[in-house]
Amino acid sequence: MKNICLIVLLSLILSGWSIKSFAQSEDDLIEICGMIAQDATFLKDFTIRLDAGDPPPTQRFSVILKKGIKYRFSVCNSNDYEGRVVLQLLDNNRLLATTYVVASGKDYPSIDYVCTKTGAYHLFFNFKEGKPGLAVGLLSLVETM
Amino acid sequence: MRRNILIFIVSILTATSCRFFDSNRNLSREDFDIPDEIFEDKPLEVASEVIEDMIQNVSSPVEMAALIKGLKIPFNRDYIANTKEANNLNTNFQKAIGLGIYGADLGYINMYERTSLVINYITTIKTLADGIQVGQFFDFNTLSRIATNRENIDSLMLISQQSFNRIDGYLRETNRAQLSVVIIAGVWIEGLYLATRVAQDANHPRIDETIGEQKVIMSSLMLLLNNYKRDPNVASLIADFEEIQSLFKDVRITYEYGEPIPIEKDGVLTFQQNDTQTIIMSDETLKNIIKKVQSVRNKLLLG
Repeated sequence: MKNICLIVLLSLILSGWSIKSFAQSEDDLIEICGMIAQDATFLKDFTIRLDAGDPPPTQRFSVILKKGIKYRFSVCNSNDYEGRVVLQLLDNNRLLATTYVVASGKDYPSIDYVCTKTGAYHLFFNFKEGKPGLAVGLLSLVETM
Repeated sequence: MRRNILIFIVSILTATSCRFFDSNRNLSREDFDIPDEIFEDKPLEVASEVIEDMIQNVSSPVEMAALIKGLKIPFNRDYIANTKEANNLNTNFQKAIGLGIYGADLGYINMYERTSLVINYITTIKTLADGIQVGQFFDFNTLSRIATNRENIDSLMLISQQSFNRIDGYLRETNRAQLSVVIIAGVWIEGLYLATRVAQDANHPRIDETIGEQKVIMSSLMLLLNNYKRDPNVASLIADFEEIQSLFKDVRITYEYGEPIPIEKDGVLTFQQNDTQTIIMSDETLKNIIKKVQSVRNKLLLG
């Protein structure tokens, strides 16, 4: 009986430990995202954490982009949540770039953006179908043009 | 009858509203019953979360250096701040501005892979960061090891940038966002200073344009700084920056808008922006901006 209790206790501790160790932290996601961004120079990271919702909730960040720089936007989803993140880059109300191309239904883990106008731009993140999610977005510098 | 009453009321409302916007009449404060506290010249109050979300990447230590290097302009040690000048920086405000200035210089050094200079600059940055209790976020040991062993330069850039982002995040979390904004101001002025030095030596039109387009970036930066203008140090910095900003008024920027073009090549999707930006700035204005920027930056290093 004593042995059974010990086994159960150990199993619980181990299962708890393993769940904890496999949960992806924001730092883990940044690291993975960095790999997706490859050799581009890291500039900024954005953490996106959204609950489920209809219409899908959105998280917004404003950034200054500079003319003559090719930027890379990379996104990385946490496996602990259902949501798959979509990034849209807007200038006022114009959609300039996105990681999800509706026409082809294709998702891109990273996209490049060649900036020709210095100014404020807006990054809109949401999770497809309004599912809850945790993701990281990375802004990096690829090269100057 | 009911319809007539309705028309009458609408007519009265329309007439009075038109009178409200009568441009010939100067409306004064006395015309309205407005509490005094609204008229007090208070700084714009913005919650720290809003500040955090307002504008990011206003200035980074990497971008200006990348633009300069991209123009094939050689590294010049004379452009960057002498680390001995950090001894002049004693208050938290001065240390924060220094952190920005030396951070931008570190970006310039890293970009040109001048690893022999890195140790000196990261030591200075670490001292300044310790001075405002954020030294723990500056990964001095790793940076030092990478620089000493001339390891992967990409890691040097990544860790430097991450350190600055962590400092920025921590300052915002601990209600010291004004120091974070001051660091950003330091990075910005040093980046612009580097551009002005290059403009004097290289006479490159793209660098002149880069200086001119700072007008746009500066307006975002001033918005951030103005939120903390109650702090006398920030107010003094704003006063100095306003002198630069007044010169930027003579810079005219025009835009032509075009649709971005997506191009997929080897699985990489690239969006090519098709907007055109034109900077109209006289040589005289450029000269004045260069002079003013250099004088403000040098003044900041005097402590």
